Amino acid sequence: MKRNGIFFWVGAAVFLIAIALMTKLITNEYPFFAGYVILQFIVLAVAWSILGGHAGYVNFGTSAFFGMGVYTAVFLFKVAGAPLLVQIAAAAAVGALMGFALGLLTLRMQGIFFSIATIALTIVIETSITNWRYVGGAAGIQLQRPPVTWPFSGYVQMLFFVQAVLVVLAVVVSRYIQNSWIGRGLQALRDDELAAECTGVPTLRLKVLACVVSGALMCAAGAPAAMYLQYADPSSAFNLNYSVSTLAMSLIGGTAHWAGPIVGAILLGTTQQLLTVTISSEVNVLVLGVMLVLFVVAAPEGLIGLLRRIRRHRREGKQ
Amino acid sequence: MKRRTLLGGTIGAAVLGLTFGLTSAALAQQPPIKIGMSMAQTGGLAGGGKASQLGIEIWRDDVNARGGLLGRKVELVVYDDKSSASETPAIYSKLLDVDKVDILFAPYATVPTAPLMPLVKQRGMLLMGNFSFQVNSKVGHDMWFNNAPWGPADSWAASFLELGQKAGGKTIALLAADQEFAQNLALTARDVAKKMNMQIVFDQAYPPNTVEFSSILRALKAAKPDIVYVASYPPDSAGILRAVNEIGIGNNVKIFGGGMVGLQFGAVMENLGSLLNGVVNYNTWLPEPSMQNEGTKAFFETYTKRAIEAKVDPLGYYLAPFGYASGQMIEQAIKAVGSLDQKALAKYLRENEHKTIVGPIAFAADGERKESATLQAQFRGVVDKNMDQFRKPGTQVILFPAKMKSGDLISPFEAARK
Repeated sequence: MKRNGIFFWVGAAVFLIAIALMTKLITNEYPFFAGYVILQFIVLAVAWSILGGHAGYVNFGTSAFFGMGVYTAVFLFKVAGAPLLVQIAAAAAVGALMGFALGLLTLRMQGIFFSIATIALTIVIETSITNWRYVGGAAGIQLQRPPVTWPFSGYVQMLFFVQAVLVVLAVVVSRYIQNSWIGRGLQALRDDELAAECTGVPTLRLKVLACVVSGALMCAAGAPAAMYLQYADPSSAFNLNYSVSTLAMSLIGGTAHWAGPIVGAILLGTTQQLLTVTISSEVNVLVLGVMLVLFVVAAPEGLIGLLRRIRRHRREGKQ
Repeated sequence: MKRRTLLGGTIGAAVLGLTFGLTSAALAQQPPIKIGMSMAQTGGLAGGGKASQLGIEIWRDDVNARGGLLGRKVELVVYDDKSSASETPAIYSKLLDVDKVDILFAPYATVPTAPLMPLVKQRGMLLMGNFSFQVNSKVGHDMWFNNAPWGPADSWAASFLELGQKAGGKTIALLAADQEFAQNLALTARDVAKKMNMQIVFDQAYPPNTVEFSSILRALKAAKPDIVYVASYPPDSAGILRAVNEIGIGNNVKIFGGGMVGLQFGAVMENLGSLLNGVVNYNTWLPEPSMQNEGTKAFFETYTKRAIEAKVDPLGYYLAPFGYASGQMIEQAIKAVGSLDQKALAKYLRENEHKTIVGPIAFAADGERKESATLQAQFRGVVDKNMDQFRKPGTQVILFPAKMKSGDLISPFEAARK
C-alpha cells in the first residue's frame, strides 16, 4: 500500500513536469489545443465517477456543472476582469453549492428518478443563462484574453498546464475517496442504501459530500473553457455532449477504480480528436457509437474490469 | 503467360502514367495552394454547411480546370466542427500549425466562427467569413471579410420595417426565438423601431424547439400590430406559419415575416407550400432576372446536378453561390497581388469591388458588406408540394434592395395570403 502511494505521487510529479516541459519545448500550438480538450474530459470523467461510480448515482447533469463553470468565469471576467485562478476557484465554489443542492435531492430521489432530475437541472440553468443579457444571453459573448502570465509563452500553453494541475487535483481527491472510509461508505450505499443506513453508515452525509466534491471539480474544469474559446454561448456551454461523453468515458474505462475514468477519457477523448481531423464526417459519430456498444457488450465493467478479470483468470490458471 | 500479361500490363500502365504525369507536370511540380476550413457535417448546421461546402468545391474544380492559381492547384482541407463552438479552435490550430494551409475560410454560421476571431487576429491571417453575423464588431480584425450580404448591423431590420412603414404600419410585434441569431435580429429591430418612432406593442421571446404557437399567436393578434417581425429557426418557422394558417393574424397586419430562417431551404419550402403565400422574408439569392450575373446560370446547372449526389438542398440559393463567391474573391485577390501574402491580399480585398456570381461585392472597414444586399422578398402564388415552382422567377418577388427590386409589396398580409 505504501509503495503504491510513493509510485502515485512520483507519477503525478513526473506528469506535471512533463506537461511543463511540453509547454516550453513544443512550438506547434495544435497539441495544446487538442490536449487541453482531452485533459478537460479527464477531470470531468474523474469527477463524474466520484458520484456515479462510487455512489452509483448516475448524473446526466455534467453539462449543467460544466456550463455553470464557464459562465461563472464569464461573469467574473466581465464584472472585474478576474484572473484565471480566481475564476477557477469561484467556479469550484459555485459547483460545490450546486452539488450541495443536488445532494439534498438524493433524499427524495434515487436511481432513474435522480438521473432525470439532473437532466432537468441542465435545462433549467441553461434557460436562465439564455435569458440573462449581462453575460450575453442567447447571442453569446466574445471575450478578449488578458496578456499571458510568466513563465508561459502563450495563453493556450498556460491553460493546458492549468488543466493538467486540475487533473492531478481531481485524481488525488478521487483516489483519496476510494481508499478512505468515505469510499467504503459510498460503496456500501451503492450496493444497498437501506442496509448501509441500518449498519450505521451516514448515507446522507456521504452522498452530499460526494455531490459537493464532484460538482466542484466539474465546475472548476469548465471555468478555463471561457478563456480557451474566448467565446461563450449557452448552447455550446451546456451542450448535452459533455454529459454523454463524460458518462461514456467513465463507463468505458470502468468506475470500480479511480484509474478507470482516466483510461476511458484518454481513450475516447483521443479518438474523438483524431476522428475530427481524419474521418471528419457523419461516420465519426457512428464510430463512437459502435465503440460504445462494443464496450458495453465485451467489457461491461470497463477496461479496468476487463483487466482485472484477465488477471484473475491467469492467477486461477497458475493455481 | 499470365505472369507475362501482368508484366506487360504493369509496364503499359507505368508508361501511360508517365506520359500523363509529364503533361500535367506544370501543375504537379509545385505543391498545391491549400485552403483550410471547418464546416458543419453533423449537428444543427449540417444542412447549410454541406451546401456551402459544395459551392466552394464547385469553385475549386472550376479554378483548377482553368489551370489553378499562381500555377498551382487549389486543394481544400475541410474538417467537421459538429456545429459547435468548442471544436473550432483546435481544428484551426491544426489547419495552421500542422496542415500549414495558405488561406483560411471560416465555418458556416456565427457560433463556430466566433471563437476563431481572436486566433486569426493573433496569427495575422486573413479570414474569409461565411454567413456569420457581427462576429468582428468587438474583435476588430482588419483582415476579415464576410461573404454574406448582411451589410451594416441594423440594415436587416431597417429594410423590413421601412417596407412596413411605407405600407402604413405604425406599431410592431416582435417574435423571436431564444437563440443567438434570432436574438441579434430582435435586438437591432428594437433599436431601429426606436429610431423610426414606431411603437413596439408586443415583444416575445420563445424557447428554442417550441412547436405549438397558437397561444403565442393569439396573444400577438390581441395586441393588434401593423407589422409582425419574426426571427425564428427552421422548425419554429414552420410551426409559426401553421399556427397563422389555423387562427389567422388579423386584418390590420400589413406585413409579416422578416427574419425567418428555414424559408430559404428547398425541403422546408416544398413542405410548407401554400402556407408561404404573402410572407415577406429575408433571402440572399433568388432566381429573379435582376439576380443573374456572369456565371450564375452555369453555377446552378452544375450545382443542381451535384446536389443530388451530395444529398444537399436541391435549390441551394441561400448559401452555395456565396461559397463560390468566396472562392472567386480570393481568386481575384491572388491573381491581382501575385502572391499569398496575407496583408497584401487583405488590402486588395478591402480596397476593390469584386465581381462574383452573386453580384458585385465591396467591403466596409469592419469587413462586412458596404451596402446591405440582403433581400426582402414576398412569396406569391405558391402551391403545395412542388419544388420546381421555386426555380421560376415570380414565386418570390424581391421588394428590397431597390437595385434588385422585381415587384411591389402586396398588403395587407391577409390579402396577400390568398
